[in-house]
Amino acid sequence: MYLNSEEEKMYDGEYGGAHQVSMKILVRLGDLFGATRLVPIKSVHISGVSYKTVGDASIDFFNALASEGGKAQVLSTLNPAGFDPEYLVKRFPQEYREKQLRIVDLYRTMGIQPTFTCTPYYIRKPRPGWHLAWAESSAVVYANSILGAWTNREGSPSSLAAALVGKAPNYGMHQAENRQPNLLIKVKSSLANETEFGALGIYAGKLLRDRVPLFEGLSNYVNDDLKQLGAGLASSGMTSIFYYSMPCEKREFETVSVETKDIRNTVESLSTASEVPDLIFIGCPHCSLSEIQSIAQAVEGRKVRRGIELWVCTSRHLKQKAVNHVNIIEKAGGHVLCDTCAIVTWIKNLGVNTMMTNSAKAAYYAPTLNEVSVTLEPLSKCIDVACA
Amino acid sequence: MPLEIKTLKGRPVVSGRRRGSALVSMKPISFLGGVDPNSGVIIERDHDLKGKNVKETILCFPCGHGSTVGSYVLYSLAKKGLGPKAIINQKADPVVVVGAIIAEIPMIDQVDIQQIMTGDEVEVDCDKGLVKIVREEKTKPCI
Repeated sequence: MYLNSEEEKMYDGEYGGAHQVSMKILVRLGDLFGATRLVPIKSVHISGVSYKTVGDASIDFFNALASEGGKAQVLSTLNPAGFDPEYLVKRFPQEYREKQLRIVDLYRTMGIQPTFTCTPYYIRKPRPGWHLAWAESSAVVYANSILGAWTNREGSPSSLAAALVGKAPNYGMHQAENRQPNLLIKVKSSLANETEFGALGIYAGKLLRDRVPLFEGLSNYVNDDLKQLGAGLASSGMTSIFYYSMPCEKREFETVSVETKDIRNTVESLSTASEVPDLIFIGCPHCSLSEIQSIAQAVEGRKVRRGIELWVCTSRHLKQKAVNHVNIIEKAGGHVLCDTCAIVTWIKNLGVNTMMTNSAKAAYYAPTLNEVSVTLEPLSKCIDVACA
Repeated sequence: MPLEIKTLKGRPVVSGRRRGSALVSMKPISFLGGVDPNSGVIIERDHDLKGKNVKETILCFPCGHGSTVGSYVLYSLAKKGLGPKAIINQKADPVVVVGAIIAEIPMIDQVDIQQIMTGDEVEVDCDKGLVKIVREEKTKPCI
């Protein structure tokens, strides 16, 4: 791939070690996947923040880049961390707190914004056609599919590398021809709620590999449903983009059908628990303003029963914006937590054995990442169980 | 016992040469949530390698999927001595590639992994893009 003279100097180490390591990563990826050059990007979103998920070894990696002078060249935001600053922070051992704060400190040293959310598009919405370098698979799919921005599904280290260089190799989703749909998925089931949209994502993600799906037959959806669909696709698969309306003139595609029984079986297979949950978790991916509003309406005047915790996870940005709704949820006994979520914190250490959620993505990961059993139900059912 | 030797071609991804025992899956792997970072054991639901350990294997799978944090899990495994000796993919994805780059795990892709069986002794040359499989020849049944 072509590098200009400044990029070549970075590659050769003239701008310091952090730039050199970053350039080596970006150029290797670019060469492998067919990039012709590096393209300037409008923003970077970085995954790999929670100490629970990245572990000790990664701290050395961040430290090496930070101490070699790495500084973000474009707006760069961070995924959720291992705890929120108010409620959970007090409930974990000092070692976890210190390691997490060390990670955050290193990111801050590199000029990365401590946004701690997997939905950076609610803070600054990318415009159609903007080139980005985002990790966090659900945000990648949302940016490409719903917002029309252009980003690859970066691995965590390559998103950091892109932040420090301010550019990304222009392969994959940065090239128009790779964004065209080539598989038609006929949805022959009327999806009743956000949980079924997520389940469709988990089901279809397994079939796709690197194909680009066009879903036909979706109706009565809002962007929050599409967010669940994309998060599901990216969990069980490697998809970066999907379509829900025809982007071009009708062409002949390979076609697969999804029936009601496929959705039902997917929900059932993701539900591994039958007992009453210890924790009800809403907010994977982090809640939007309208989701917080729906939850507030559902719990208003009710009380979360003893023995169950209700967590509503969102960004700090939206928690401040939705202060009235947050007050209603907290008055009912729920916790609106920002900066974290149930998947990237240590819920097992809090005594949680069974979790109920409306998110197919959370249900997909929790049994292995959190060692809890899961019930997958839509928001309305989750709230009814919480306030029974 | 006579030995059967087969050579497959692929594309160099991360340089290095390794020899070891193959662990082969026909299913994609998500390192985050799919591999226990403290042991190297595959824990992914419905996975054909569930319960198997990736440590010191020549790990063969079609591609990565799922979380983008998988790169750091691979890196952590390698730093703890729990990582695979080398990775062979059908079609590499950026999350596994960048993990292998920073963990310095030799890697090759565009290999027909269906030709490799778990337990095969495999020699991978990730500079030249070659996979050599050394297998005990099956004895012909007596008639």
